[in-house]
Amino acid sequence: MNPDLDTVWRLRNAAAVTLGLAEDQMRRAIEAAGTEDLVALLESFAPGRSNGPDWARTFEPLVERLWAWRDTATMAALAEIFRARGMAWMAVTNALTTDQRAAARHPAWARQPAFTVV
Amino acid sequence: MDMVHGAATIDRLREEIQGVHYRAATDTFCRLVTEESRPLKSMIKEAIAAAAPFVQVPSHMMQLPNGEMRGVNYDHTILGWRGAISLMNELGGTRGILPNIQAMWYVPQGLNVWEQVICEFPGHYARDGEQCNRQFPGPDEHVNRFDGPAWNPPKIYFQDHAAIEGGSVTERLSRMNWAIAEGDKAEAYGLFLGLAKDPATRDRLKDAILFAGITDLQDTIINRGGYQNIGHKALRARALVDIADYLGWDNAHELIYTVVPDLGCSPRLYGLFTEVSTICRMELPKNAVIPKRTASPLAEHELDRLTEALLWGGPFEVNSTIMGFFKRGAGLLDVGDAVIACFQRYLMDVLEHPNAFLHPTHALDYMNVVMSWVRKHDNPHQVKGIFMGARFMNDAIRSNAIYPRDPTTVLEPRQHFRGWADGIALDRMLPILKEHVLAQDAPRSCALVDSYLARTSERHDLLDTITYAACHWQNDPHVMRNGASSLEEFRHNRSSRRDDIVRGYVKHQSRYVKRAPTHDCYGVFAHYFQPGNA
Repeated sequence: MNPDLDTVWRLRNAAAVTLGLAEDQMRRAIEAAGTEDLVALLESFAPGRSNGPDWARTFEPLVERLWAWRDTATMAALAEIFRARGMAWMAVTNALTTDQRAAARHPAWARQPAFTVV
Repeated sequence: MDMVHGAATIDRLREEIQGVHYRAATDTFCRLVTEESRPLKSMIKEAIAAAAPFVQVPSHMMQLPNGEMRGVNYDHTILGWRGAISLMNELGGTRGILPNIQAMWYVPQGLNVWEQVICEFPGHYARDGEQCNRQFPGPDEHVNRFDGPAWNPPKIYFQDHAAIEGGSVTERLSRMNWAIAEGDKAEAYGLFLGLAKDPATRDRLKDAILFAGITDLQDTIINRGGYQNIGHKALRARALVDIADYLGWDNAHELIYTVVPDLGCSPRLYGLFTEVSTICRMELPKNAVIPKRTASPLAEHELDRLTEALLWGGPFEVNSTIMGFFKRGAGLLDVGDAVIACFQRYLMDVLEHPNAFLHPTHALDYMNVVMSWVRKHDNPHQVKGIFMGARFMNDAIRSNAIYPRDPTTVLEPRQHFRGWADGIALDRMLPILKEHVLAQDAPRSCALVDSYLARTSERHDLLDTITYAACHWQNDPHVMRNGASSLEEFRHNRSSRRDDIVRGYVKHQSRYVKRAPTHDCYGVFAHYFQPGNA
C-alpha cells in the first residue's frame, strides 16, 4: 500500500472529527445565544464591512444552522428586527422569513459542504 | 401611432436631441431615413455630432457637500452606437436597423450627465438612478419632468480644439498617451486629431488609443463607490475605433470629440496595470514574444481550473492560474478565449438577481475590447490585457458576493425545463425562444438554448433570435453593447466550451434588469421600417 494513502486517510478522518466537534460547539453557542447576540452576528454580514466575499459566502450556511437550531419564534423576531432596518437589509430579512426557508441554501453561491445532522 | 408632423430636417433632429425630446428625435431620425431617403450612416453621424459637445463631464468624481465623493457616470450614447453598428451586420436587413433606433432613442437621454446627477437636467440618470422627480417635482405630479424636455440648454464642459501637428508620429503618439495619463485632455485631443488626419498612421493610432483605454482600470470595485471606471475607458476607445472605421475617418471629427477628451478625465486608475506589469516583468520577461495562438489551446482540466479561479478564487488564484498557462506555452488568444468561455459559467449557474449582471457584464465587455485589440494589433503589452480582463471578471464576481443572497430572487433550475424544451420540434424553437426572452423567463429561455445546442450545429439563427429579442428593450445601451461583445467573441472563440457563450448570453438577456417595461421604441421602429413578424 502506498504509505501516503494511509496518511491522507488518517488526516481526512481527523478533519472530520474536528469539523464534527466544531459543529457541535457552534450548535451549543447558537442555542444559548440571546437575540442581541444573534443580531450582532448577522450584522457582521453588512457588505460595507467587506473587502472580499469570503465572510459573506458563509451567510447561507449560517442561516441554515439558525433554522435548524432555533425555534420559529426566534427566527420571526430576528426577521422583524432586520425588516425594520429597511431595504438595505432586505436580503437578510428574506432569508430569515419562514416562507423562504427552503430557498435559504444555494450551493452555487455558498460553496460549503452540505450540512446534515446525523 | 400618433407621429409628429412637419418637415424632418437635420436642424430639427439636432434641436430635439439637445432639447431632450427623445421620442420626437427618434421619430425625426426615422423619417429622415425613410421619407427623406437620407443614408442611415450619415444620420448616425449627425446624431453623434449633435450630442458631441454635451457628453463630457468635468470629472467622474464629484465632491458632495459633506466632503465625501460620489461617482459621475460615463457617457453611454457612443456605446449604444458602437453596439448598434456591430449588430446591424449581425442581424442584417431591416431587422438590423432596430439597434440603431434604440441607440437614437437613448442619445437625448444621455446628455449632460454631471447636471443629471445633481438633478439640474433631464435624462435617464436623473429620471431613473437619481429619482430626481421625488426631490424636485414639477407642477403636475403625474408628469416626471426629468423624462424631458430640457428646461435649460445642455452645458459644454470641454470646447472643441484645433489639431496639434508637427513632430514625428512616434513622438506624438507618446505625448498623446502621456497626456491622457496626466489628464491633459486638450493636449491629448489635439494630438489625436492631428494624428488621425494621416491614413498611414491610423493603425498605430488605433493601437495607441486602445492601449490608453485598456490600461486605465480599477484594481477593485469592492466598496469603491464611484472610484472606479468599470472598464469605460477601454469601451470608449473601442467605440471610437469601430465607429470611425464605419463612418470613415474623414467623417469622424465629432466622434473623436465625443470620445478622446474623456480618456483623460479623472479619475485615472493605473494600479492594476502597474501590478500586472510587475508580475509580467518578473515572471514573463519575454512576454513580447508570446504567440497569439498555439496548437495547444487549454485542455478540459485547465478550463476547469480557470473556472474555479475566476468564480471562486481571488486575485492570487487568477494570477497564478493564468501565469501557469502562459508559462506552459499557451498563446494570448488561447488563454483569452478560455477566460471568455469559463466566465460564462457565472452567468449560467450563479447569477440570479437581475441587478447583479451589470458589473460582471461590463467585465465581459472590457475583455472583448482586450481580445479585439489582441486580434487586430501587435503590442508587447497585450499579455497584460489578458490578466487585467480576468482580474476584472473575478473582482466583479467577488464584489457581487459581498452581498448576502436574497432567496426571493431564486430561479428555478434550467434543467427542470429541459424535458419541456426537448419536446418542442426544432423548427418551432426559435419563435418560442423569442417569446420567452421577451417575457424575461430565464429558466425556460436557457433550457430552450440548451436543447437547441444539443440538437443542431446551427448557431446563426439562434444568436439572431436572442439578439433581436433583446433589442426590443429600450433606454439601455448596455443591451446592444453586450450583444456585440458576445456575438463577436462567439465568432472568434476556439475553446471547446464556445457554446457556453450562447448560454451565458441568453441568461443575461432574459434576466438582466430592464430600464423600461414597455417597447415604445420598438413600436417607432416597426411603424417606419415594417419588419413584419420577423
